[in-house]
Amino acid sequence: MVATDPPADDPPAVRLEGITKTFGDVVANDDVDFRLEHGTIHALLGENGSGKTTLMSVLYGLYDQDEGTIYVDGEPRTFESPQDAMDAGIGMIHQHFQLVEPMTVLQNVVLGHEPTDGGLVDERAAREEIESICSRYGFDVDRHLETPVEELDLGTRQRVEIVKSLYRGAEILILDEPTAVLTPQEVEGLLDLLDDLRAAGHSLIFISHKLDEVLAAADRITVLRDGEAIGTVPAAETTEQELAEMMVGREVSFDRLARTATPGEPVLEAEELRVTGNRGREQVRGVDLTVREHEILGIAGVQGNGQTELIEALTGHRRVEEGTVRFHGDEITETGRRWRLEAGIAYIPEDRHTEGLVQAYDLVKNALLGNQTVPPYVADGWIDWARVTDHAEEIVEEFDVQPPNPAVDAASLSGGNQQKFIVGREIGHEPDVMLASHPTRGVDVGSLEFIHNRLIELRDEGLAVVVVSSKLDELRALSDRIAVMYEGEFIDEVAPEAVTDAELGLLMAGQRLEGEPSEPEAEATVDRQPGGDGDR
Amino acid sequence: MSLATDSSQRRLQLGGLALIAVVAFAAVVTIWFDVALERILTVGFVNRTLMLASPIALAAVGGLYAEKSGVFNIGLEGFMIFGAITAAATLSLVGGTTQLHVWLAIVVAIGVSLALTAGYAVLLIRYKADQIVAGLAVWFMGLGFAPFLASLLWGTVRSPGLASMNRYSIPYLAEVPVVGPILFRQSPLVLVTIVLVVAAWVVLYRTRYGYWIQAAGENPTALDTAGVDVNRVRYATVLFSGAMAGLGGAVLLAHAGTFIGTGDTMVDGRGWIAIVAYLFGNYNPLGAALAALLFGGLEGLQVQFQTVDIAVSGRLMGLLPYVGVIVVLTIWGKTRMPASVGEPYESED
Amino acid sequence: MSDSDTNRPRATLDKIADRLLDATLYERIGIAIGSTGLALLIGLVVVAAAGHNPLLFAQQLVVGSFGSTGAFTRTLRFTTLFILAGVAVAIAFRAGVFNIGVQGQLIVGGIACVLSIIWLAPFVPAGAVGGVGLTLVGLLAAVVAGGLYAALPGVLKAYYGANEIITTIMLNFIAIGIVGWAVDGPLRPDDARSVRTEYLPEGVAFPQLVFSDPNFSIVGLALALAVVGVVAVGMARTSFGYDMVTSGYQTSAARFAGVDPQRTIVATMTLSGMVAGLVGAVFAIMVQGYFIDPSGIGTYGFDAIAVSLLAANNPVGVVPASLLFGALESSGSHVQIHSDVPVQLIDGIVGVVVLFVAAPELFRMIAKRTGLGGDRR
Repeated sequence: MVATDPPADDPPAVRLEGITKTFGDVVANDDVDFRLEHGTIHALLGENGSGKTTLMSVLYGLYDQDEGTIYVDGEPRTFESPQDAMDAGIGMIHQHFQLVEPMTVLQNVVLGHEPTDGGLVDERAAREEIESICSRYGFDVDRHLETPVEELDLGTRQRVEIVKSLYRGAEILILDEPTAVLTPQEVEGLLDLLDDLRAAGHSLIFISHKLDEVLAAADRITVLRDGEAIGTVPAAETTEQELAEMMVGREVSFDRLARTATPGEPVLEAEELRVTGNRGREQVRGVDLTVREHEILGIAGVQGNGQTELIEALTGHRRVEEGTVRFHGDEITETGRRWRLEAGIAYIPEDRHTEGLVQAYDLVKNALLGNQTVPPYVADGWIDWARVTDHAEEIVEEFDVQPPNPAVDAASLSGGNQQKFIVGREIGHEPDVMLASHPTRGVDVGSLEFIHNRLIELRDEGLAVVVVSSKLDELRALSDRIAVMYEGEFIDEVAPEAVTDAELGLLMAGQRLEGEPSEPEAEATVDRQPGGDGDR
Repeated sequence: MSLATDSSQRRLQLGGLALIAVVAFAAVVTIWFDVALERILTVGFVNRTLMLASPIALAAVGGLYAEKSGVFNIGLEGFMIFGAITAAATLSLVGGTTQLHVWLAIVVAIGVSLALTAGYAVLLIRYKADQIVAGLAVWFMGLGFAPFLASLLWGTVRSPGLASMNRYSIPYLAEVPVVGPILFRQSPLVLVTIVLVVAAWVVLYRTRYGYWIQAAGENPTALDTAGVDVNRVRYATVLFSGAMAGLGGAVLLAHAGTFIGTGDTMVDGRGWIAIVAYLFGNYNPLGAALAALLFGGLEGLQVQFQTVDIAVSGRLMGLLPYVGVIVVLTIWGKTRMPASVGEPYESED
Repeated sequence: MSDSDTNRPRATLDKIADRLLDATLYERIGIAIGSTGLALLIGLVVVAAAGHNPLLFAQQLVVGSFGSTGAFTRTLRFTTLFILAGVAVAIAFRAGVFNIGVQGQLIVGGIACVLSIIWLAPFVPAGAVGGVGLTLVGLLAAVVAGGLYAALPGVLKAYYGANEIITTIMLNFIAIGIVGWAVDGPLRPDDARSVRTEYLPEGVAFPQLVFSDPNFSIVGLALALAVVGVVAVGMARTSFGYDMVTSGYQTSAARFAGVDPQRTIVATMTLSGMVAGLVGAVFAIMVQGYFIDPSGIGTYGFDAIAVSLLAANNPVGVVPASLLFGALESSGSHVQIHSDVPVQLIDGIVGVVVLFVAAPELFRMIAKRTGLGGDRR
C-alpha cells in the first residue's frame, strides 16, 4: 500500500514527519508521517482511540508533540497554540462543536477576531464579511446571524463552525468526525459542501471511522491503528474490505449472527406515552411500544429525537406525563426507578461517565451501585461489603474487565472496560428486560463484539431487550425489529433485513417510506411486524 | 442582541410584580397602623434606598462578571468587609475629614481589595482551589481580620466617627419637587454606581471583551480555540469582582461614617444579597442593579417605619431583606448559570 | 471457585487497596497539618507586624489551651461543641450539600431546648429524675427544631432550586434576629439585668463525673463521640449512607441507581440540622444554663465548616480537628485576658486555614518543589 507520488516541485499543504505524542504511558501517536496535498480531501481513518484526533490536535496546536515536525507549505512550523495554527491558515471543526450556545451565530463566528469600531464590536462590518463568505460558498448560515446557536439544529451548527474557520482565513480545514451527529441526508449535504470547498482550492482533512463515507468523500485515505500510520491509499483504488482490514488488523466478517428464537409473551409495554424533556419541551409524543421475551427491539434515530426521554420513562427515571407503562401486564406507570430495578428492569445507561459509574469509587463500591436494596448485598439496610466485593470480582472475571482488579478506581479504566463492567453489573440483577442505551458508544472493537454477543445471549435466554443506538450497523446486527424514532414519535417499524441503510436514513430524517411513489422498492421491503404499532 | 429573550422578559414582569408586592405590603402595613402611605414613600425613602442599594449593586456587578466568565466568586461578602475596614483605617490613619480624604480612602480600599483578590485569583485559577470553600474562607478572614485591625487601631471593634461622603447639591435644580432632591441632591457615590452599572452593561454586551467573558463561562474551549487565553479573561474578571466588592464596602463605610465590627460586621450579609441580586437580574448588570434597588428598598422600609412610629421591632424589620432573598431564590432559584462555572480551565500542557 | 484459588489474589488486592487508601489518607493529613501550620505561621507574622512578640503569643496559645486543668477542660468544652457541629457540617458536605446554616440551626435548637425545658418544668417533679427527664426532653426538642430548620433550605434546594449556601446564610441571619428579639423581649424575665431567658431549673445538667468544671461534663464529650460513631458507621455500612455519599460524589450516578436525589437532599439537610440542633442543646445545658442573645454566642457553626474541611469531611477525622479548634478557641479566652493582641486574630487564622484547605493543589506543588513526599504519585 503506497501513496500516489506527489508532484515533486509543489510542497504539500501539510506534511507531518515522525509525529510522536504520549500521554503518560499511553502512546497516542507513534512516529506518524502524513501529507496533505493542495486542493484535495484526505481522510484519516481509524477506530476510536487509534490516535486520529490526537494527531490532528497536534497539527492544530492544541497539543505539543513529543517528537516530529510539522511542515505547512514546505515550511517547518511550531504551533504553541491554536492561534498559531490559525495564523498559518489551519482551521479545525471539532467533533464537539466549539460554539458558545447562548451567543448568536454572528458573535460565535467573530469570537476572538471581532472587528471593532471605537471600542465597540462593529456588528455591521462583521455581518458584511460573513455574508460575503456565505455567498462565495453557498452557505445559508447568514440567515441565522442573530439567532442564538442553541436554537439551531446540529447540521446548521456545523456549517457555522465551518464559516467560523473560513472567517478566520483558514485554507486548510480539519473536520473531526463531522458526520457523527448528522442524518444520512445531512451527511450528503456536507459531502457536497466539502466538494465545493475543494473546488475553491481549500485542502481538507476528514477524520472518520466510517468506511463508506471515507470512500465517498476522500481523494486519499490514511489509516491509523493503535497510534501508527498503517498506510495511505487512493480512494479510487481500494475497497471497504481492504480498509476494514487495515483498520482492525485482521480479517473482518460483515455477516450477521443468525437469529433462532421466536418472540414470546410481552414483557414491557408502553401505550400512548408522552414525556417531557429537561427543558420543558414534550420529547416523547404518543409512543406505543411492546417488547417480548426472546426479542431485541432496536430503536433508531438521530440523537435528540426523544430516545433518551423514552428510555428514562421506561426505566422509571423520568415521570410519564400521559399514557401507561406495563410490565408483565401490570401497570407500573407511577413506580419509580428503585421499584422497577428490583422488579427486574435493568438499564445500561447512555452516559457511563456520569451515570453508570461513580468515577471516584473503586469497582467494589461501584458494584453496589443499583444494588443498595438488593439481598444478599444489603440486608435490613446494612451493607455486606464482603459479598459486594465477591460480586465485583465475579463481574471483573466474567466480563473480562481490564485490569482485573476491583480495587482500582472506575476513572482509571478505559471506556470499553468501564462499559463491560456496567453491562456485567446490570446483567447481575437477573432482570426480565434489559434497556440498553448506546451500549457500545466509544468502546473498542473487542469490547463491542463482547457486549453484542452478551446482549444476543440474553435474548436467547429469554430476556426482552431494547437497544437504542444511532449506529445503523449495530442496530442491524442486534435487532429483531427496528423502530425509528423521529421528533418524539415512532414513525415506522421495520425488519432489519428488509431495509437498506439509505431507507433507514430517510426514516431517521422523518420521511415516511410509504406513500412515496418514487421509491416503490422501499415500500415493498417494509415489513410490518405483528404487535408493532409503528405508524399511526 | 437577544437581550429581550422570553425568560428575561418574564423576569422583568415578575420583578415588576415583586415591586408592586412590596408597595402593597407597605400599604397594608400603613393601613393597619393607620399611617398615610405618603409618609412612608417619601423622597427621603427613595434617596435612602438608592444609597443602601449602591454597595449591593456594585458588588453584584463585580460578582456577575466573575461568574459570567466561569468563576463563582462567593467571597464578595469578605471583600466588602475588607473594603470597608480599609477605607475606615485609611481615614483614621490620615486623620483627614475633608471629602478629598474620603475619596482617597475609597481609592485605597479598591487598591487593597485588588491586591487581596490577586492572591485569591491565583488560588482559584492557578491552583484550582474549590471556589465555594475558598470564597467562604475569604468571608471568614474578613470576619476575623477586620475586627482585629479595628481593635489594633481603635482598641475596640468599632471605629470612632469618621468623615463621611456628603451629598452634592446643584443649586436651583435641587429645588425641583421630587426629582430635584433625588437627582440633584444626592451622594456622588450613587452617581458613580449608576455610571459603573451602565458601563458594565456596555462592556459585557457590546465589546469584544464582553464576548470573551461570556464565552469563557459558557464554552472555554471555544474561546481557547479562537486564540484567546481563557485564564487571562478569568483573572481579569475575578480582579474586577474583588475591586467592585471592595468599592462596595468602601461606599458602605463612606455613607455610614463609622466602621462597625461586631457580629457579622457592618457589611452584614450585603455581599450575599449581591449574589442573589445578580441571579435575580439574570446576570445582566442592569437587572442586577434593579434587584439591588429592591433589596435596598426593603432595608429602607425599616427606617421609614421607625420615623413614622410604627411599633414593629427594628430588629425584626431588619430581617426583611434576608426573607426577601429566600423568597426570590425560591421563585427564581432555577437560574440558568453559565455552563462552565466552577470548572477550572486547563489547555493542554 | 475454590478457596485456595481466590485467597491469594484477594490478599494481594487487599494490600493494594490498603496502600491506595493510605496514600490518600496521608495526603489528606499532610494537607490538614500543612494548612494549619502555614495559617498559624501567617498569624504569628501578623502578630509581629502589629508590633507584638510572636513567640510570647505562641506561648500564650499553648498555655491557654493545655497549660492548666482549667485551660484543658475549657479546651475539651469547645472540642465537644466543635465535634458535634463539625459532624453536622460533614454530613451535609459529604452528601454534596453546602449547609452553611449550622450556626442558625444550633441557635434554633438551643432556644427550643431551653424553652421546652422551661415550659415543661412546672409539670415535672423536682429532683434528679425530673432533671434527667427534662434534659432528655430538651435534647429531643433541640434535635427536632434543628432538623426542621435545616429541612426548610433542603426543601427549597431540592424542589425549587434555591442555592442552599445563600438560603442557609440568610436563615442564620434570620435565626439570630428572631431569637435575639425574643430573648430581649417576650422571653426576657422581668428581673433579668442582661439579655437572657430564664435559668434552666436545678437538676437540668450533665453530671460531673471526672472534671469539676461547671461548664464541661465528660458526658457531653461522650455524647459527641457517640454521634461520631453512629454517623461514621451509618455512612460506611448502611445503604442510606451509601446513597447519601454517592449523591455527594455524583448525583447523576445516584439517580441512575434509583436514589431519589431530591429526597436525599432533604434527608441530608434534616440529619445535618438535627446534629446541629444537638450542639445548641449541649451549649444551653452544659455550658450556659440559659440562652442569651445569639449574636453574642460563639461562631461554632462557622468554625465547624473549617473543622469539617480540615477533616476532609470524614466524621472520625472531625475529632482531632475539633481538638485543634477547641484548643485555639480555648487559648482565645486566655489571650483576651493576658495579651494585648486582639483575640479576633484567631478567627482570621481560622479563615486562612479554610483558604488553604480549599487549595490542595497548592500543597501538592509545595510538596513537589520541596521534595517532601515527592515520590508519592
